[in-house]
Amino acid sequence: MISLNYRDSRPIYEQIKDGLRKLIVTGALGPDEKLPSVRALAAQLAINPNTIQRAYNELEGEGYIYSVPGKGSFAAGNTDADAQRRAELLARLRELAAELHYLGVSRQELETLIKEAYES
Amino acid sequence: MIEVKNVVKRFDGFTALDGASLSVPTGSVYGLVGPNGAGKSTIIRHLTGIYRQDEGSVAIGGEDVWENAGLKARVAAIPDDWYYFLQSTVRDMMRFYKGFYPRFSMERYEKLKEVFSIDEKRVIRRLSKGMQKQVAFWLALSCMPDYLILDEPVDGLDPVMRRQVWSLVMGDVAERGTTVLVSSHNLRELEDVCDHVGIMDRGKVLLERSLAQLQDNMVKMQVVFRDGQEVPADLPVLHVSRVGRIHTLIMRMNAQEAAARLAVYDPMLVDAVPLTLEEIFIYELGGADYAVKDIVL
Repeated sequence: MISLNYRDSRPIYEQIKDGLRKLIVTGALGPDEKLPSVRALAAQLAINPNTIQRAYNELEGEGYIYSVPGKGSFAAGNTDADAQRRAELLARLRELAAELHYLGVSRQELETLIKEAYES
Repeated sequence: MIEVKNVVKRFDGFTALDGASLSVPTGSVYGLVGPNGAGKSTIIRHLTGIYRQDEGSVAIGGEDVWENAGLKARVAAIPDDWYYFLQSTVRDMMRFYKGFYPRFSMERYEKLKEVFSIDEKRVIRRLSKGMQKQVAFWLALSCMPDYLILDEPVDGLDPVMRRQVWSLVMGDVAERGTTVLVSSHNLRELEDVCDHVGIMDRGKVLLERSLAQLQDNMVKMQVVFRDGQEVPADLPVLHVSRVGRIHTLIMRMNAQEAAARLAVYDPMLVDAVPLTLEEIFIYELGGADYAVKDIVL
């Protein structure tokens, strides 16, 4: 369910974080759905369990998942996604928009794209 | 917890370990790295009770290792030059291990038989080198150890088997809290499986940190200064390289701090790039006069 790219310069725990976040944001992991246990993921990916725990802890801090002691971690509804992440993504979009503008992509094309994302 | 304190070991006047210290927290996976001849295997042979230190102390779980059979029953090791008896089959060797490890689990042994798919009636010495290594993992994991000490454990294993073996070890760490010490030159792989790293050189442990700290303590910055400026002389950098207008700086600080230090010069572009363990290894040892020399043959 998560694949690690060894040519990626991001640290492993960030790749795991991004991978899980993507699953949650796209709805592949629905609200209150159980995430794989740290142990299962460690064995499956052949990754240190502490690294995976770190990714889980940070995702919990950002509000993407919540954990129930003795039961495991669950995906949170994506309603209260972290404000910091929102700001980060908006900044990235601004950067991308500036570059697309520089490359001659028209405003209309961009607007269509955004519309598509909102309507899907 | 594995604790090695100021260990000195001399062989005929040659000092192999020169005050080496390391500590492995319980339940962590500790990667021991270092150039050839740094003393990694020597430390490991102290931890498995093969060598006795000249000075200092070697303790596992608070107990001295030397001649401590009770402790060694909880420690399994895979040395770099393993030994199997002449003509002994996997099954014979299993009986031998079972005699020494009171917690040896037949259930695990049978389960692992499926994983490794080696006929247990075959003579180990007639197996290929990679298969012999698989047998070593098979037996070591069946001992249900609290401590697992591995000296270059996946050398000679094929890519599928490497992953398989790491998956088994990581599963054991997650489930039973096994403490693992592993020496390896495959830094790419260590980055996945370790949470602590110690870098050795010339008989000493130069530094040991958690992987998160290590990655947070050094940063690679890509910078373009205005008007083709050079790197300011007062900036504390470990290494500089330049391609076109882009300077790549290695700095011993975290990314925020580095960005703040660079912001003063109002650069056109600043980008922090995470360092791989391999790069950290090279730059840490670069300070100790160890680097790839430019020699053309």
